[in-house]
Amino acid sequence: MSDYDAIVVGAGNAGSAAAITMASKGLSVLLVDRSDPPGTKNLSGGVLWGNDLAKILPKWQSEAPLERFIQDKKIGFLTEKSSIIIDFKTKIFEENKVGHTVLRSKFDPWLAKKAREAGATVIPGITVESLVKKDGKIIGVEESGDVVTSNVVVLAEGINPRLAIEAGLRPPLQDWEVSVGVKEIIKLSPQKIEDRFNLSSTSGLASEYIMGNLGELNAGAFFYTNKDSISLGIVAPMERLRENGVTHTYDIIEQFKEHPSIAPLIDGGTVAEYGAHMIPEGGLEMVPQLFGDGYMIVGDSAGFGFSNGLVLQGMNYAFLSGILAGEAAVEAKSRNDFSSSSLSTYKRKLDNSYVLKDLRTFKDIRKVTNNKSMYTTYPKMLESILLEMLWERGQPKKKVREILGSCAADLNVGKLKTATDFYYMYRRM
Amino acid sequence: MILDIKERLGKTKYDIDKSYAHITVDDRICEKCPHHFCVMACPAQCYTMQDGKLNFQYEDCVECGTCSIACDQGSVKWNFPKAGKGVIYKYG
Repeated sequence: MSDYDAIVVGAGNAGSAAAITMASKGLSVLLVDRSDPPGTKNLSGGVLWGNDLAKILPKWQSEAPLERFIQDKKIGFLTEKSSIIIDFKTKIFEENKVGHTVLRSKFDPWLAKKAREAGATVIPGITVESLVKKDGKIIGVEESGDVVTSNVVVLAEGINPRLAIEAGLRPPLQDWEVSVGVKEIIKLSPQKIEDRFNLSSTSGLASEYIMGNLGELNAGAFFYTNKDSISLGIVAPMERLRENGVTHTYDIIEQFKEHPSIAPLIDGGTVAEYGAHMIPEGGLEMVPQLFGDGYMIVGDSAGFGFSNGLVLQGMNYAFLSGILAGEAAVEAKSRNDFSSSSLSTYKRKLDNSYVLKDLRTFKDIRKVTNNKSMYTTYPKMLESILLEMLWERGQPKKKVREILGSCAADLNVGKLKTATDFYYMYRRM
Repeated sequence: MILDIKERLGKTKYDIDKSYAHITVDDRICEKCPHHFCVMACPAQCYTMQDGKLNFQYEDCVECGTCSIACDQGSVKWNFPKAGKGVIYKYG
């Protein structure tokens, strides 16, 4: 007889969503997290899309500690001296209010509280040291010699899944599977934020950039408004960082802050917190075996994230994978069978959801995000085209075709290479 | 606005476990390391070169796990800090 039906390791979005799903269906659930309050070691860029959260907490929009709903979404390229931005501002976002900026140290303790209200036992400040195995089956967790058992363990450890690696449930992570994210919180008054970004007291801005000013680091950056602060940071693939070998990750974020189009946006602000977190970027290829006898893997630990250079999402995949693992556990309980074959319903549910559908659809996206030209040549090319078209210099004007030809010559790129790159972007994005 | 990394780390809250280092490195391996990529990769400047020798301190670690991948020589041993210790984000 196990102590619990389920033990969830990790009170992030995936873990708490799994705990809520299981506890609200009457399963006995233990949710442990190594931080206290639960979730205060968690860190995200900060935009939460809540469609899946609504399935377990329909009133999340009024109850959760959210910062600002996303009304204005920008994506763009930075070069050394320029920024080229698409500014998408829509009433549709305002009418739906599904995307919000969040601060995880406020949001995650709230979500863990919801798990407690659903009936789960939540114990923060517990560092699980190992998984307990018996006859090849995961039967519980161990901390300081104390063993607590369960029918199923849901592993929601995040992107640094020490327990899963140690238990041989997934291989150690490799360079190509992750990017390093570095983030700062910049305090700025609500008044300044609303005036500076043309926002109301509840609306917000989320911008993502390709950093064309950092050469072949293939780095991206993000800039999000909270109620009285800015979340900003950079994301750099481990492979490119290693190849580069001379750039400190903690300097890249300062280069972003110093960019001529970013510096004025944070003028007068003060740094309130510095943090870092890895991001799963390996796509379908990094997804481990997701279930086995007595366990399931959810969220970042499972490699569930989406990135195409300009769009970065993970919290939505965390919620949904947590919910689906929770549902699979509820069904396993009804069969009183927590074997691998019984828990395989988790994988089937994922297969039918956007989590694995997205990863399959974009299985070749790394060939785009790994393409150095995306971060070097093309931002410069765009800049050159716009300079030719928009800057009156008392010179004869050129047709676009000529501009493209001379830019390509200046940047030393062949037509064939460019055509091939765009063809593959078109095919894979 | 541009701050030194130490000054930025000073803004972040920790409950440092003085009796337990959750990351350890093997000096003998680091001595022979051809790249010391950890020095570049670690966002918290826990790895620095001093007089040609790698110096490691865990106190500023924000527990991102980057060094566990950056080190391909088998020197870095990475464990979670003990209960509740380590970084405590106020914002996250």
